[in-house]
Amino acid sequence: MPEPTGVIHDIGYQRYTGPRLGRRQVFGALYLHGLRTAFGLGRSAKAKIFPWLVVGIVTVVAAGATAVRSQIGEVVMTYAQFADNMSWLVIFFVAVVAPELVSRDLRSGVLPLYFSRPLPRSDYPLAKLLAMATALWLLLGAPQLVMFLGAAFTTGDGMRGVWNELLDLLPGLLYAGLWAVVFASIGLLVASLTGKRAFAAGGIVAVFLMTTPIVATLSVMPSRAVNELAFLASPSTLVQGVGVWSLGDLLITENGAGQTESLIGDFGPVYAVAAVLLVAACVTLLLARYRKVAAR
Amino acid sequence: MSTVSWITARGLFGRRRFLLLLPLPAVLVVLAVLSRALGVDPGEWGPAVLVGLGLAVVLPVVALIVGTGVLGAEIDDGTVVHILTKPLPRWQIVLPKLAVATGVSAVTVAVPLYVAGVLADSVRLGLALAAAASAGALAYSALFVALSLVTRRPVLLGLVYVLIWEGLLGNFVSGTKVLSIQQYVIALADRLAPTGLLEADVSVPVAAVMTALISVGFTVLAIDRLRSFSVAGETS
Repeated sequence: MPEPTGVIHDIGYQRYTGPRLGRRQVFGALYLHGLRTAFGLGRSAKAKIFPWLVVGIVTVVAAGATAVRSQIGEVVMTYAQFADNMSWLVIFFVAVVAPELVSRDLRSGVLPLYFSRPLPRSDYPLAKLLAMATALWLLLGAPQLVMFLGAAFTTGDGMRGVWNELLDLLPGLLYAGLWAVVFASIGLLVASLTGKRAFAAGGIVAVFLMTTPIVATLSVMPSRAVNELAFLASPSTLVQGVGVWSLGDLLITENGAGQTESLIGDFGPVYAVAAVLLVAACVTLLLARYRKVAAR
Repeated sequence: MSTVSWITARGLFGRRRFLLLLPLPAVLVVLAVLSRALGVDPGEWGPAVLVGLGLAVVLPVVALIVGTGVLGAEIDDGTVVHILTKPLPRWQIVLPKLAVATGVSAVTVAVPLYVAGVLADSVRLGLALAAAASAGALAYSALFVALSLVTRRPVLLGLVYVLIWEGLLGNFVSGTKVLSIQQYVIALADRLAPTGLLEADVSVPVAAVMTALISVGFTVLAIDRLRSFSVAGETS
């Protein structure tokens, strides 16, 4: 029996001996990358068109409202109302960003690369969700800041006026956060079902748009309780219901006060619970989805 | 039925994601049946279901998903090359695909709209809605098929049209209604079956002419674009 003649050559591969970053850094990198992806930063000009189109429109609307208020003195919309009025643009923004965040990775099959890092299964969707929610919050919050700055510099009664504006702004920002969390969790869940960005975008818009007319139909049903609970049927009206219950006068201006208040009746807490349950359900399904998809 | 249309139909129906299209018309029918069964006045639920859900959401969204799917999906995964290298005139590729897209979206939308129209008012309203929705499906499909050849992001551009142009601007700036397929469909349906349920903002001749113009114009544009179509990898 001849001696084995094979040899193992040392061709100079080096082991990595530097510091190894852990879970937190991986999560942070994914989050930051997701946030940059949302606005197309670090990507080609084509990827920037749609996000910045939406950002441009909301900023112009905020600037317009600020200008009208400083010139004529009429409050066109409060900070909290801003999110309500921009709901169509928010839907469009979700349809643009959510597929970019999750569908691309599904399509190009890079998930095994992600999960070969010290990254628990749940961290990937949570980082994406956090990035998406932050992007939405920035989209709704930044124009409110523009409106605040405009109001603060044109206020007539000094620091007290600025303080009052600030007290109005903070609930508006919180409300924008609610919008962001609800819409981000639904949008990401829908987008994570398909690897095709086109279908993901269509699906997201279908989910959000289809539910709004259901509200309109339910609210003419011959039952007061059904009418008052009708706003549960659509994510955007659900968020508005929570806003009406928790913010009250900040969301409703004088002309529609009594009317909107009675629209949801005494079901305010139901809306809050429903919103929490909706987000929890979406996040749970999203986590379940990534437990499965990673094993593909 | 030509091979191209057969391939297109199989591409649409052969995937599980086609089932995603079914909830939209189903909700439309369920809401109409529910309202009718509870005895709500059609004047109250009619506009919300027929126009708000049917013509403003279901028709454009179904036409968008189907219309960009027939050609856009093949461009996306690169299999369009197989069709382009066959010795076929370009119009023989675009027209069958457009026909399949129109047929699928017309059936998906017209049937539930017919049911809802019958429940709301009369058989005449149902037929009028179905006919107008089919005409609208043709115009929307031509627009979205052409979009999928003009740009690499047809769905998002189509959404800009549906959401921002028809949805957002149509509510505030009445001038944009002259260039909105949704308004043409409403005008045509209202002409075919005059009821108090539909409110037309454009005149019927304008609607008819513009629908025909959009259908033909974007079909010609699509054929022309496909003539000089360059197969390029996706950037970014």
